[in-house]
Parts: sequence; C-alpha cells; structure tokens
Amino acid sequence: MTNRHRSALRAVAAAAAGLVVLAACGGPAPDRGGDGAVSGEISLLTPIFERADGAAVLEEQLAAFKQKYPGVTVKPDYTSYSKLNEKLTTSIASGQPYDVMLMGVGWIPPFAEKGVLADLQQDPAQLATRYYEGAVDPGVFQGKVYGLPIMMDTRIGIYRKDLFAQAGITEPPKNFAELREYGKRLTQRGPDGKLLVAGLDVLGIDPRQAFLTLLWAAGGELFNPDGSPAFNSPAGVKALQTMTDVIQTDRSEEVGWTVPNSPTGNVMAQGRAAMLVGHHNFWTAIEREAPDLIAQDKLGFFVIQDERPAIFQGGTLATVAAQSKAPAAAKALAEFLASEGPALAANQQRGNIPALKSLETSEFVQQNKAIQFAMQHFDAVHSEGGVPAWLDVRDKFKPAIESAMLGQKSPQQALDDLAAETSAALAGR
Amino acid sequence: MSLESAVVQPAPASGASGPGRVGGAPRPGRIVLHAVLILLSLLMVAPFVWMVLTSLKSHAEVMSYPPTILPSVWQWVNYPDALAFAPFGTYFRNSLVIAVSHTVINVVLAAMAGYALARLPFRGRSVLLMLVLATMMIPTFTKIVPQYLLAKTMPLFGGNDFLGRGGSGWLDSWWGLIVPGAVTPLAIFLFRQFYLSLPRELEEAGRLDGLGEFGIFARVMTPLMKPAIATVALITFENSWNNFVWPLIVTRSVDLRVIQVGLAAFQQTDATLWEYMMAGTVLATVPMIVLFLFTQRYFVQGFATAGIK
Repeated sequence: MTNRHRSALRAVAAAAAGLVVLAACGGPAPDRGGDGAVSGEISLLTPIFERADGAAVLEEQLAAFKQKYPGVTVKPDYTSYSKLNEKLTTSIASGQPYDVMLMGVGWIPPFAEKGVLADLQQDPAQLATRYYEGAVDPGVFQGKVYGLPIMMDTRIGIYRKDLFAQAGITEPPKNFAELREYGKRLTQRGPDGKLLVAGLDVLGIDPRQAFLTLLWAAGGELFNPDGSPAFNSPAGVKALQTMTDVIQTDRSEEVGWTVPNSPTGNVMAQGRAAMLVGHHNFWTAIEREAPDLIAQDKLGFFVIQDERPAIFQGGTLATVAAQSKAPAAAKALAEFLASEGPALAANQQRGNIPALKSLETSEFVQQNKAIQFAMQHFDAVHSEGGVPAWLDVRDKFKPAIESAMLGQKSPQQALDDLAAETSAALAGR
Repeated sequence: MSLESAVVQPAPASGASGPGRVGGAPRPGRIVLHAVLILLSLLMVAPFVWMVLTSLKSHAEVMSYPPTILPSVWQWVNYPDALAFAPFGTYFRNSLVIAVSHTVINVVLAAMAGYALARLPFRGRSVLLMLVLATMMIPTFTKIVPQYLLAKTMPLFGGNDFLGRGGSGWLDSWWGLIVPGAVTPLAIFLFRQFYLSLPRELEEAGRLDGLGEFGIFARVMTPLMKPAIATVALITFENSWNNFVWPLIVTRSVDLRVIQVGLAAFQQTDATLWEYMMAGTVLATVPMIVLFLFTQRYFVQGFATAGIK
C-alpha cells in the first residue's frame, strides 16, 4: 500500500477511533471476572511474532499460558506494525476491540486518551525496579500504567573500527562537530568524484528517527509539557542543520546512497559506509550478511551525543482493552507476555532488547554486542510520542526533514512549517 | 447470417499484403513502430524479470554490492523455503475461493444490472446509472470503516440478533470476505456498454419467438457477450486476487488469510527477506499470468468495443 493510501487510511482510522465514546479517560481497571476466576476466551492482536517462526514461538508461549490458566483460551491475530493502526482502529470503531493489544512506543497516549485501554493498576515506580525505567515510561499516561513493556529497540551510532583506524581516528565522536568532522575524513571518493564510502550515513533509517535522535542529543525535546511542539527549538534546528550539512555541505553522503530497509543491502556490510545512525538489530543483519566483520571485531557502537547522550527508543508493549469481556484473563495474558520466559522468546525471535533487567544476563543478550551496548546505556534513552495526537502527526516529519536535507527549505523553515502543521493537527482533535 | 455477425468485431491484423507493407517489404515507419513497441515491452517486462532473478538468489547475493543481474548460484530452494514461512497452501486456497466467488457473482449480477440499464426502459434509469458511476469515485479507504461496521452488524449472523447486535456478524467469516465488494460498478458499466452495442433486431426476434425478458437476456443477448464476460471476469479475478486491506481487516483467523496478506509477512518493520518475498510474489503472480494468456484475445476485444454504442 502506498504512503498516500496509508495516510488516508490513518486519517480515517483516527476519525473512526473518535467514534469510541467513553466517559472517563482510561477504562476501568481489569479485575477478576464475575465468578472470581481467570477464565474466558480472549483475543490477542500482535504486530510481533510474525511469519511461521514467530507464530511458532507465540504458540509455544500460549501453551505455557494455558497450563497456568486452563480456563483461558487465547485467539491470536497476527499483523505487522505497518497495518497495526488499521486493525486496531477498525476493531475499536466496531465496539469489539481485541482483549489484549500489543502496540508500539508512542501509541499508548492516543489510545489511552480515548478510553480504549484499561488502567493496569500498576505502580510505575515499582515496575521500574523490574524493568528499565526508560521501558516503563512509554506505557504510562497521566500517571497510570496502560502498557507493560515486552521488548525495546534502539537507534545508536555504529562504526567500522578498521575504517576509523585507516583514517587515524581512535575513538567515536563525542559531539556533532566531531561527528561531522569524522564523517568528512572517513568519506572516500574516486578520481571522478564518485562516492565510494560514505563517511556518515544518516539515510539508512527513517528520517524522523534519525532527526529525533539528534534532537535529543542536542538537548531538545519533541513536545513541551503542555503538549505544544518543541522540536523547532534552536536544538531542533541544530539537529536538522547537522543532518543537512552532512549531505549538502560535507558531502559525506549523497541522497539515494541508501534508504531504510533497502533492497540493495546494508551499506556498512558492503564497506560503503564508515559510520551510521542505525538500528541495534543491524548486528543481526551483519551476522547474516557479513559475519566476518563480527569475527574480526570490526564493528563498534557509540551513543550519539552533543549536549547530552541520546538513544532513540522504540518497542512493543502489552495493553488490555477497557471493554474486554474477560478483563482478568486479558490482564493475566498481558502480564504473562511481559514476563521473563515469553519476553525472552519474543526478543530472541526478533533480535530486540528485553525490557526486563533480569534478562541482561541471558545467553541471548550476552551473545549480541549491540544489545549489550544498548542495555548498558539505557539511561540515555528517549521515546517519541507523548501526546494523544502522535499517530496523526508522526508521518508529517519525514517530508519536512527531507525538504531540508534536499535544500528546498532551511532547517528552521522546515521545522517551523512542521510545527504549524502539528499545532493545527493537535487543535483539530 | 449468424447472430455473431451482428456484433462488432475488431479489424483483422494486417497480413502480408496489409497496409504495413509496400511491394512485399515493410515500411520504414512500421519498422520504427515495432522497434519502439519492442523497447517498451522490454521496459514493461524488466521488473518482472528482476523479480524472478531475485527470487533465485541467495540472501547474501541479494544484499551484495554491486548488484548482480544473474544469480551466481541458482537458489531454487528459495521457493520451498518461502512456502514454509507461512501456511501458503491455505492462503492460496482462500485467495482462489474468494477470487472465483467474486468473479462468478460479479459476472452474473453485474450482467443482469448492465442489461437492465441498457435495454429496459424505466423511470430514473439515467439517474441510477449516474449513481452507479458515482460510486466509482468514492475512495476505497473512506469506505473501509463503514463497510466494517456493516459487516459487524449483519443481522442474524455471527451471533447477532435481528437488529445486528450482540455478535460479530460477518467479521472473520467467508461472508465478510466474499460478499462486500463482490459486485462492482465498473463491471455494471462495462456490461451496459456491451448490451447497448447489440442490435435491437436480436431482442425483437427473441420476443417474436415468445421469449420473456429473462430468456432474451440469458439465451439471446448474453451468449454474444464473451468478450465482455472475459473482460469483467479477468478484471474481477485480478482485483480480488490482489486485494489486501479488506481481507486483512475483516479477518482475525490465520485460516481465513489470503495470499497478499501472507506475502506481507516477508516485510518486517526493520528487515525484508527480499529473496523469499520475490519467490512468493512470483508464485502469486503465476495464476494471473496464466489467466490473462487464456483470455487476452477476448480481453483486448472487450475493451476495444466497450465504448461502441
């Protein structure tokens, strides 16, 4: 489906979600069923556990859940993150939401505000003793816990140690100035000026995610406490100016050199990028595509930093529908999926970062240096979203950022226009 | 004179002594035309060739730089491996059942509607035709939520009472997959255009022989409509086979998922298994290609004459 179609459907889906009329902000807390037992048939919507291998992992976990709660039958519905919003909103609009819904970071406020999600009656501070605090926060809205974290994913700096050594660079960049300077030094061009190795790749992930990583590193915020846009602050302009300068001024990379999820492969695995802002599961891709880089210890990681260190954090959380007909069973399943065994299995299948602190010592984590690195720096994570309209406005970021990187607008103008668009969307809710 | 002779037939292709030849030698203009057509054909077929070649490469080769055109090792194993990623047998069966059902329903009901709009004089016929055509202008995505709600509140289905309350209606059922969107305004319009092109004498001859209106429709007019039937059948089958969003939204069970939803499993948020995705896509495309090969003569003929009144 095209982006235009997706945007259209999102708009419709957002309108559909508005059909949900519930009095309170946040549904009633799940409690034991009428007979006091955890029982009933519940539905689960999951954007993870994809494909046959993922389904096999989930079926195994659901079998264990069945052993624990024999009176509960779970009917899973598999989808992908790209279609999750459509599935959620149509089911909500029909008055038949899934009992348990797995959703991403930034998704909780929009659905909690509409009263779709149940307050799980957990204490955020208590949860933070078992889960990483940065993983707990995305599940909290207005002080109440609506989602339990299962897995996290991060965007961090990744570099080729061998190419750094060739350029005489001994350690990763500590600020934007060094980031740009190293990028220029690491860039290799042929005699005809043709780009051979990009010194710094900022195009390999979603532009919004790259920008937000730099925004937070520059000391900026996405939204003010009152929910108004804050990303067009001087810190935001500095972040976007840096991304733009990498392309336009330093020429450390060219537009089109790579694209997210590129069918032409991984530029670092191919030796065509020396440093990049990327997803931690890059490690898993390298294991498949260029295992020698790992065997020869040629990969290193760093936290993007300027005014402060910053790691972009995404993830998946388990939520319960406020309208669930078997709330006790639904809550039991959400808690089960966020517990050690199922969470580890899910993270292994997807190559992601467990949100539970206790899993840091697991063999899976110990074998993955990218995940270890991210977990060691979890105090630097920042999450996108935070406002109820986030799902309506997040897709507006990409064209705005690209307009600056292509030189069509100044970073300040691009962000101001985006802030105006965002404010209008927020006001129109 | 046979009944078929009354139907407008496309002009025969130019032969050895046709307008494209001068004294046995092809005209220069003809050569240029064919060269351009060949070039355009190659451009059109290039993505398909790339898809097939990619489906036969290893993951490492797909991801290598510079990209290769031909696989260094032909990975035929990608096909069984791709099929093992998800229950594709079930997906193929479901897509086939839905596409065939849609095709049959659309051909039968749209032909009746098209005949009525073309040959039966009744008050408001033009307005009705305009309304049918107007429905083609409504974007698909604006209809999804209302259609979903209609399916969910279908009375007496899925545990619903006679007011459509209390159950799931047509959600997650074959009804929900097959009925909504089974009859299309485009098919009604195409059939109407074809029925308009048939001579009135045929209709009158049928009446003289004592046939009723349905008899004229079924036994006189419709047998002359092979190009229209083939055109509508092919378009319907293709659209139904490629449908993605509605089957995804209306179903919750894996047992009811379709091939296009299955293919999406190869594309995750952060990684795409291109070689398997291309293998699956090749397999999903084959039925459409075979269908088109068998019906292309009628299909082209259908569009060539659809506008003739």
